[in-house]
Amino acid sequence: MRAKLLSKRNKFIIGGLLVFAVIGYLVYAGIRDTRMYYMTPSEIIAGEREIYGEGLRLGGIVVDGSIEWDARNLLLAFQVKDEKNSLPVVYQGVVPDAFENGVEIVVEGTYTEDGVFKATTLLPKCPSKYEPSS
Amino acid sequence: MVDIGYFSLLIAVLASGYSIIAASVGRSRGRAELVRSAASAAFAVAGLLTIGMAVLLYAFLTRDFQVAYVADYSSRNLPLVYTVSALWGGQEGSLLLWAWLLSVFTALVVIQNRRQNRALMPYVIAVLMAVELFLLLLLTFVTPVFARLDGVPADGRGLNPLLQNPGMIFHPPILFLGYVGFTVPFAFAVSALITGQLGDVWIRSTRRWTIFSWFFLGLGVLLGAQWAYVELGWGGYWAWDPVENASLMPWLTGTAYLHSVMIQERKNMLKVWNMILIMLTFLLVLFGTFITRSGIISSVHSFGQSALGPFFLGFIVVVLAGTLILLLSRLPLLKSTNELDSLLSRESSFLFNNLILVGATFSIFWGTVFPIISEAVRGVKITVGPPFFNKVTVPIFLALLFLTGVCPLIAWRKASGRNLRRNLLLPLIIALLGGAGLFAAGIRHGYSLLSFTLVILVLTTIWVEFFRGVRARHNLMSENYLKALGMLVWRNKRRYGGYIVHVGMVLIFLGITGSSAFKTEKEVNLSRGESTELRDYTITFETLVQYPTANKDVTAATLSVYRGGRRLGSLSPAVEKHKGLEEQTASEVAIRSTLREDLYAILAGYEPDGSEATFKLLINPLVAWIWLGGLVLALGTILVMLPDRRERERLKVKYAREVLSDEVYS
Repeated sequence: MRAKLLSKRNKFIIGGLLVFAVIGYLVYAGIRDTRMYYMTPSEIIAGEREIYGEGLRLGGIVVDGSIEWDARNLLLAFQVKDEKNSLPVVYQGVVPDAFENGVEIVVEGTYTEDGVFKATTLLPKCPSKYEPSS
Repeated sequence: MVDIGYFSLLIAVLASGYSIIAASVGRSRGRAELVRSAASAAFAVAGLLTIGMAVLLYAFLTRDFQVAYVADYSSRNLPLVYTVSALWGGQEGSLLLWAWLLSVFTALVVIQNRRQNRALMPYVIAVLMAVELFLLLLLTFVTPVFARLDGVPADGRGLNPLLQNPGMIFHPPILFLGYVGFTVPFAFAVSALITGQLGDVWIRSTRRWTIFSWFFLGLGVLLGAQWAYVELGWGGYWAWDPVENASLMPWLTGTAYLHSVMIQERKNMLKVWNMILIMLTFLLVLFGTFITRSGIISSVHSFGQSALGPFFLGFIVVVLAGTLILLLSRLPLLKSTNELDSLLSRESSFLFNNLILVGATFSIFWGTVFPIISEAVRGVKITVGPPFFNKVTVPIFLALLFLTGVCPLIAWRKASGRNLRRNLLLPLIIALLGGAGLFAAGIRHGYSLLSFTLVILVLTTIWVEFFRGVRARHNLMSENYLKALGMLVWRNKRRYGGYIVHVGMVLIFLGITGSSAFKTEKEVNLSRGESTELRDYTITFETLVQYPTANKDVTAATLSVYRGGRRLGSLSPAVEKHKGLEEQTASEVAIRSTLREDLYAILAGYEPDGSEATFKLLINPLVAWIWLGGLVLALGTILVMLPDRRERERLKVKYAREVLSDEVYS
């Protein structure tokens, strides 16, 4: 009787472990296949790693007055800066509302060999209140 | 006037502090008058915070820009509704709303339990008031909500245009109802641990609070999704943003808790697990608040930089450590008196549903905090985005959907394989036929095919459940089918209400599958009068008009929509430039929504003379079913929360025994 109870218990434990193993694997494989390095303009310019063509997230601030917008073809060009350096970014598509001069932004895309960051997604941060313009 | 608000919060600090001490001492020394005074103090806190809310509201309505918060979040030209909603537009105000809701809930809990749970209530009050005290200390000393500016500015900074949307009126308070509500079952859980009254009294006493919180949290998430869909203008409703994740996680563990407590009620099992789930839910609520308010993870929702982060982190650590120690010290008392009978039983299917929900929470949590962890451990910041979450959660949620269909067919205790086969056969055949039909109709996307098949499976099993019940009543009581249906649901609200909630969830799944897998989109530049084709739609750019309103300049395009040569109507996507201290643009998308699909238009760019404009056009199939699912969910939830006479009678016997033990303890 006791042996039987144990085996029933074990069945549950095995079932539970199986569920967790599958989920654990999904998480592991998900991160392995979809991870993106988060870099600042300076880190990209320093060029410590070979990053051409690899999916990246670039974080920084949109340089005041650097925005060029071609409304007809939805082509956007601007610069993203950190404390030291700035990097040119190009993007084609609909621009999110919160995108503007001086806004904090995360840009997803790839860094090309001509020194331009080709963005596929713009993720400007929209603070719930207006920050005082500096 | 503002001083009244400030001082009422200060007094509330003292009152909540007193309430904690009086409740705990009163309970441990057995002095009932102290406990009663703790309850009175809790009422006082609710009153004082109501005054605080009223004062802040008054300051907003009278445009009292000397109050820093009012100056930061409103301006003279802000319409009335948004002036009111600006109350929770920022850090301090939303915290005040939170504290106020918690104080009101506490008062309601005290009133509800005047004649019951005498053993549990003192510590329930103490825990609720401890959370309240934490919030009040933040509101008075860390980010004082009634802080004043030295001078009075001529005008306020105004509310962010993105927040000037009906979504702002409903989404935050409703989400907060859910967030705050979970504090109540958490407080009962802690009290049950402290007092050692570990039966299911604390669970039953908080059943409605749990459902209430779960429902409003879910509704809040859904409203947030809808807000993003109609306002943020990128054509989607969910972006796996950290803050979105933060609101989804406690909902998932809350869902697990809702299911697993049924097992404790029925079989007196899973006591430790239930404790862990409700604590996890509460901790995830705090974690979500921490993420939103600390700015530690970049998110579109985050508040400006604030000093609140470390305090919330500290509070999380204290709560985590406290509850863990408490739980460990009570482990011997939490032994189950039963054990699971069979791997093929309702109990075990609930258990697996729980594991999957917690697993989903874990994977979302991991993806959300991964950037921080990778930076801390390896020095490089590695982020994961929507592709990660989609990849991981889609199979998990499909497994969950499968269980939703199969669970109700499996008997409690031990199901016979034969019985299950008989119950499952028909729905399975119908679902497979449906799946095959969709395949024949040209759907080749694997996950979607699976998802649609499972949707059919779940709907059929629920339909069979209803049908059997109705037929039985029809035959036994010779009621007509309609009456039988009504009586069936009315007499078994928990069961059939639960099924209706499931139907709501299934519809949401349907909408999510359709809109994420079968999206069509196009960006196009059109001259005035020019047309473009989007699948079987023909869309013509008619005019572009510009006009000012009180607080913004609007540029609106008019598009005519045709299908099969027939004019379906027009769409007017617009761009609004808000006037204020700083100019900010907000695009107003136009949506033509049908049950089949949404046609979604964004005005992405235009020539100032109106001669041409660029649009992004999308077809989002089945999106409307997500919102419809939400309505069904609401209906089911209301049903399960309604008082149930039969349930009460069934519990009377059980209660009689526990009231006795209640008496002994107090």
